[in-house]
Amino acid sequence: MCGIVGYIGAREAQPILINCLKRLEYRGYDSCGIALLGETAEVHKDAIRIEALERSLQPNDSQAGIGHTRWATHGKPSGINAHPHTDCSGTIAVVHNGVIENFLQLREQLTSEGHTFRSETDTEVIPHLIEKYYKGDLEPAVLKALADIAGSYAFIAIRAGCDELVVARKDSPLIIGIGDKEYLVASDVPAVLDYTDRVIYLEDGDLATITQGTFKLTSNGKQIERTVHRVPWTMEEAQKAGYEHFMLKEIHEQPRAIQNTFAGYISALEPEIDLGIRKDIDFDNISIMACGTSYHAALVGKHAINKLVQIPVNVDMASEFNYSDTILGKSLVIVVTQSGETADSLKALKKAKELGCYTLVITNVVGSSATRIADDILYIKAGPEISVAATKSFVAQLIMLYLVALAHSAIDTRSRGSLLTELRQLPNRLYEILDREEEIAGHGKYLAGYDNIFFVARGINYPIALEGALKMKEISYIHAEGYAAGELKHGPFALLTLDTPVVAIAAKDNTYETLLANIKEMKARESPVIAIAEEGDAEIEQYVDFVVRVPKVDPLFSPVVNVTALQLLAYYTAKERGCPIDTPRNLAKSVTVE
Amino acid sequence: MERIEQAVILAAGEGQRLRPFTTSKPKVMIPIANKPILRYVIEAVAKNGIRKIKVVAGYRKEQVIDYFGAGDQFDVEIEYLVQKQQLGTAHALKQARGKVSGIFLVLSGDNIIEPDTISKLIQPKQKTTILVNEQKNVSKYGVIEAQDGLVTSIVEKPKEALSHLVNTGIYAFSDEIFDLIKQETDLTSVIRNMISLGHAVQTCGATGTWLDVVYPWDMLQLNDIALAKISPVTGGTLESGVSIKGSVSIGKGTTIRSNSYIVGPAIIGENCEIGPSVCILPSTSIGNNVCISPFTIITNSIVADNVEIGPSSTIQDSIIDKGCQMKGHFVTQSGETEIKVEDEYHQVHIGAIMGENCDIGNNVVTAPGIIVGNRCRIKALKVLEAGIPDESLVV
Repeated sequence: MCGIVGYIGAREAQPILINCLKRLEYRGYDSCGIALLGETAEVHKDAIRIEALERSLQPNDSQAGIGHTRWATHGKPSGINAHPHTDCSGTIAVVHNGVIENFLQLREQLTSEGHTFRSETDTEVIPHLIEKYYKGDLEPAVLKALADIAGSYAFIAIRAGCDELVVARKDSPLIIGIGDKEYLVASDVPAVLDYTDRVIYLEDGDLATITQGTFKLTSNGKQIERTVHRVPWTMEEAQKAGYEHFMLKEIHEQPRAIQNTFAGYISALEPEIDLGIRKDIDFDNISIMACGTSYHAALVGKHAINKLVQIPVNVDMASEFNYSDTILGKSLVIVVTQSGETADSLKALKKAKELGCYTLVITNVVGSSATRIADDILYIKAGPEISVAATKSFVAQLIMLYLVALAHSAIDTRSRGSLLTELRQLPNRLYEILDREEEIAGHGKYLAGYDNIFFVARGINYPIALEGALKMKEISYIHAEGYAAGELKHGPFALLTLDTPVVAIAAKDNTYETLLANIKEMKARESPVIAIAEEGDAEIEQYVDFVVRVPKVDPLFSPVVNVTALQLLAYYTAKERGCPIDTPRNLAKSVTVE
Repeated sequence: MERIEQAVILAAGEGQRLRPFTTSKPKVMIPIANKPILRYVIEAVAKNGIRKIKVVAGYRKEQVIDYFGAGDQFDVEIEYLVQKQQLGTAHALKQARGKVSGIFLVLSGDNIIEPDTISKLIQPKQKTTILVNEQKNVSKYGVIEAQDGLVTSIVEKPKEALSHLVNTGIYAFSDEIFDLIKQETDLTSVIRNMISLGHAVQTCGATGTWLDVVYPWDMLQLNDIALAKISPVTGGTLESGVSIKGSVSIGKGTTIRSNSYIVGPAIIGENCEIGPSVCILPSTSIGNNVCISPFTIITNSIVADNVEIGPSSTIQDSIIDKGCQMKGHFVTQSGETEIKVEDEYHQVHIGAIMGENCDIGNNVVTAPGIIVGNRCRIKALKVLEAGIPDESLVV
């Protein structure tokens, strides 16, 4: 999983490539590099961050080039393994995102034919294959090379002396941005937003040959045209503006993200929801698949659907579903993926479709791979999410799942009406939590001093305990575990000491009393306890050390307010520890490898 | 002198006299005709060709940053500088040291101005120039005495009117100012010292609007003035039988339901649901995501974002901050009354002044000039005869 970029046009390519790479840093950042097209293919690369690469560069007037930011899959992060990779002669350079599955065979074969390999990467076979087939024209050589390759790829190839970029895609995302007398190629839309809002989403099997003024697209050998989309996002949204980190900016965007997600679907006057998806689908159960943070949203979705629709709901981690013999039956399959590019989720989506299920994808990215596979699409409207730790997309996913549950609900009109009223008010409740940021920051500072933290809850907030722990570990590097409160005593209790604080989500629903009992058990082990509790809950204070107050909402929606408090808690803990919050070590945003 | 191309906007202040509205937002984010005050300033600066803007933010700075971002939407480049403690205008300006060079504008972000207001100042005669404005009643301002266009004295809030020229808080300075700010916390003291040291301080007359918001009721007056300049736009859906008269701006995603009657000047934000049979009368601003139920009448009022107003309510000469929820038959009485702010009594004609996220039951009536704090809860059938502080519960 990596980010690739390419540029060809009338301007100097180098600063544009660097700028585009910075916007893709969320896809990987253990090494990076660029190659500039001219008499030679001039390569600069190393196992450094993009800023450091930028400082090391001399001005170059080349008007075409390619770039790469890497998240290592084959071969450790190093200058040699960084992209672009070149052929033996150093005239052909390639940047690649994906995995070449048969690279060992190809490499052996090419070595026996006299090619010399420098790196441990799978990518390096591509430039050597192109070199092997090159007969004076780049495009046919790339086509022949593709025929030998098995695996996933989005790559850009250049050759010294040829004024063109040759671009190919299979199972890895790639877009072409169309500017004014210039073209940009990138793994994701935010990379090109500084230059254009007109993009083409390439599909599997597409091959594009791009020169300064022309652009030719073929699919499996036939010349084709693809729709030019206008991206509704602006660069503004993809900038940090005055915030220190994207994560904090994105937490602050949550009230607007959820507002945008339900706007147009619900009305104060009519308690009906029309999501605009097919209603005549026959199913007797719902199966939700997702990974990471989206998986936690799916677990909340299960509670909501169970409560409102009374239909069996099964939630699977997409990565596990793909290798299991799960029986789906007459299922409506919902796949939740922020980027719409998560490899495991895409695979699950395809598998469910092959099994004959009706598939619905909930995603944030218009035109992403998942939207082209699924039967129906629901867009959350969170706007571009740059921070690796997902925040606003998570709450927007929750809202969309609530809408799905409410749209299918079998509850009476009055109850639905009052839930919809609450839902409409949720942005206000989030603003109230944001007003208490300083108070939460204080608790974050306190937690920063510990090495282990437990997050516990019950019922619909159990997934929020998991999510709170995930946020904490991914950005603050503190070991954090989320548990169902009732499960602590079946083992994890052995770990509770004076030095293991517990964050307990005390939602005022049918789990409240038992959770209080659990808290007392934990206090008996001397663990410091921080409770997330609603305003007006005076009882909780006598059992815990600190209380983080959240506004009172219907228990069904309590995950939305509770998770916002936990996101802020994780953020301020990580900040206190001086962690690189937007780009945590070893992580990248959209995981496009399995 | 050369034409000015940079501006520093001071937006860190809290605005205590505007409570309850400034409890959770900085003064510069007070909405007037659905735009925060600071937006008027940024737009005026941008229209004068100034692209590089430094905004000194402090109190509740996130709200400023969330709204303006990097400035792309306003065609400017904004950099935020943080004043951690609000110690005065000179201290705020000091945060811009090293960030601007040569001659630049300094503006306060909490006055409504128009592009014309500063059009003469961007080509100043002296490297220290104060934009002045004529006011009838000068008692709440810094009054300037000048001779041949040069300032001879500044007196804050004088008991008698020495002149009718007041300091607008808008200046042209050169970067030398940073060396002249010593222990002073506010810019008027710095300028007074400069005059006594023999520096020439020029005056420059403001040509357009310059409006100050000091007290909550000023918001209604400003809203009236700002609405007079809006252009009619219909971005939403109008159902059958909707009457629209005068200049009315309706945001996208908004639905005006059957038989509603709207008389401009008025502005209605995005994603609102108005009606059926709602009456909105002149000088009313309705924010985004507002829901107004049937048979409600609203006149000369500001209703902020995310408010829900129940059926058969009457809201007049009132300000309702964001997130408030009223059940049915909510009535704000309007009339002459005396309001006390910071030990001073003010005679005003006004309805209710309500902070954010209040929850109001059925059939609640407020007497004229009642200030309801933030997050108050008022049960059904209550008549409020006196103001209530934040988070009050009326049962």
